[in-house]
Amino acid sequence: MRNAMKVAKWEIKRNLKNKSFLIGLFLTPAIFLAFMFIGSFFGGSDGEEEISTRVLVRDELGVFEVIEETVAVHKLNWELEATESSKEEILDELKESENTAFILLEQESFENGVIPVQTSEEINPFFMNQVQVLEVPLKTLQMEKLGLTEEQLSAFSKQIIFEGTSIEEPATTVEEESDILGEDPLERVIPGAFAGIILLSIVFSGMYIFQSASQEKKDKVAEIVLSSLTPGELMQGKIIGYFILGMIQAVVFLGFGIPIALWKLDIPILDYLIGPEVLLFVLIAILGYLLFAALFVGVGATMADMSSAGNFQGMVMMLPFLPFVFIGPVIGDPGGLIAQIGTYIPFTAPGVLLLRLTFLEEWPWIEIIVSLVILGISIWLCMKLAGKIFKTGILMYGKNATPKEIWKWIRS
Amino acid sequence: MEAFLKVEHLKKSFKHVEVLKDISFEVFKGEIMAILGPNGAGKSTTIRNIMGIMYPDEGSITFQGHQEIPRNMIGYLPEERGLYKNVKVMDILLYFAELKDYPLKKAKERALTYLKKFGLEGKENASVEELSKGMGQKVQFIASILHEPKFLILDEPFSGLDPVSQELFKEEIRSLAKNGTAILLSSHQMNLVEEMCDRLFLIHRGQKVIYGSMDNVKKEYANFKCTIRGKNQLDILQGLPEVQRVEQQDDTSVLYLTKDVQVASWLKHLPEEMEINELSIDRISLHEIFIDIATDKNMFREEATINA
Repeated sequence: MRNAMKVAKWEIKRNLKNKSFLIGLFLTPAIFLAFMFIGSFFGGSDGEEEISTRVLVRDELGVFEVIEETVAVHKLNWELEATESSKEEILDELKESENTAFILLEQESFENGVIPVQTSEEINPFFMNQVQVLEVPLKTLQMEKLGLTEEQLSAFSKQIIFEGTSIEEPATTVEEESDILGEDPLERVIPGAFAGIILLSIVFSGMYIFQSASQEKKDKVAEIVLSSLTPGELMQGKIIGYFILGMIQAVVFLGFGIPIALWKLDIPILDYLIGPEVLLFVLIAILGYLLFAALFVGVGATMADMSSAGNFQGMVMMLPFLPFVFIGPVIGDPGGLIAQIGTYIPFTAPGVLLLRLTFLEEWPWIEIIVSLVILGISIWLCMKLAGKIFKTGILMYGKNATPKEIWKWIRS
Repeated sequence: MEAFLKVEHLKKSFKHVEVLKDISFEVFKGEIMAILGPNGAGKSTTIRNIMGIMYPDEGSITFQGHQEIPRNMIGYLPEERGLYKNVKVMDILLYFAELKDYPLKKAKERALTYLKKFGLEGKENASVEELSKGMGQKVQFIASILHEPKFLILDEPFSGLDPVSQELFKEEIRSLAKNGTAILLSSHQMNLVEEMCDRLFLIHRGQKVIYGSMDNVKKEYANFKCTIRGKNQLDILQGLPEVQRVEQQDDTSVLYLTKDVQVASWLKHLPEEMEINELSIDRISLHEIFIDIATDKNMFREEATINA
């Protein structure tokens, strides 16, 4: 272990002194964040320039104040204007103008329940949806007219909710759930994103391991180093060293990301980050790293050169990106079958688990534990195999190992 | 002399090919022992087995009586060697010293001394990429001896070196041996081996061919040969006493003499009518023995065995 730490120290030192690593260290998060915020910059400017809709109301019912209130409550971007002009005049005016609507509140239409709304040719596409919010105050007015008591009114205006209860699960009302979601979706999303960044950083540094192992071969240093320590120690040292480098990458990433996010998004991110969820998320990220590190260090040792990667090696390199296949289905249904399958495949488990835990309200503890056990076993297995491959592969100079040869090393 | 390394009955197979067949030798403290052999004879495999990079199928390897490899006492310059790119010379030297648990301060001092000795003064902060091949080789050599090893394995240390650097390496290796380091050296350059080594082990196809001290080997295997330039008939030459074999090419004839020949008296047997433009008598060199064995002619060897 002491020798492994020496190797780790060396790998860290060597990389931190290496210009291309340093540039990558700062450039990766910079590019990543730049892309993230390009979107929000454009989005933000759209919102600011949004033109408000001018809404003319000819109120014969005396509800203008109520309407004003409702509009204010729903924060609609309306300029309400009471008007006394005749219908024809207003329709003429509408033809000339843009983003203008006319609502005619007459006794007759009120009783029919159909209220005519005229809009100019150009109008906010959501206007007709927005108008629907006026339904509630008008409905109330209608019922008041019918002479209902307060109590009857409240019973009426209360929506009916279907409460679903299955036999095994404790009762959870739809209402409650949506309440939690509505209250604080960020509570999970932010730690999830945090762990995602850590996972991403260490998967990237896993890629470095891969390069480092094949570089060791290319530079023919392995045999000199192996005269001082065992292949196992060299491998462990590399895994530990690149793990720490990955953490450094994550810290730099977050060092950029958190201040920018605080400034742009106006969310108290730090408050959300300090929670027990983060610990589990980080644990999952670290397990993910160990799995891929073992894989990469083993495969890296079978290759003479980065550029000469065969199909087999290329496929292994793509494995960390497998969870991306699951992103769509998992977000669509975090508790669904596909999400569960993803949880049980070792190579997708870290990514899928992080995604699911971010979106699921009730954590499926049994699935989490099973998944962590699967991960643990896979890591142990991969480390063992990588050790065997590394031991032989690292000394095979100048050529790539074929899958057949690798199989032979594993069996030996 | 005390043996530092003892290799006994080493056997190793790759797939079904036996690459080492019952190899046994020792390396004593303070001696330079050469392991020789043509390419693919099993030298590097033997060395890798000693270093614990591979494991023998059979046989034992002991260091001062212990099975465990005293890694920190061993210096190793492998045949396949290189250095990390993108790092400073001093950093890599200190890393290798650290791996051997050698005190860093002392390592730094020694590194500077050796860099100076090998004409690399001021290069300690240069990046490895900037070094020429020969300079790189010197750095690797320094790395292998920086931690004052008790036992040094040098696999082809001279390959790719210019004569000046070769001389430097030779001197350094000699002085290390003088100070008690046991040295196992593998090389193709027979003249260097002949000059430097105390004992040698010649291996061919994984088998021992010759093992003994340089003087003994020479006495045992290196008979005299007489090279004559001038037109002479083959049967006259073959008729001379103590001649085992004659090789003729153009105007040059090489007469291989028997082992016990008395050179001075033998010369008197040369007939007066012989045409002699040039004549030289010398022992068969290690180089010739090596080539003879490597090309499977086995002429000297058979004779030597007969005479032995």
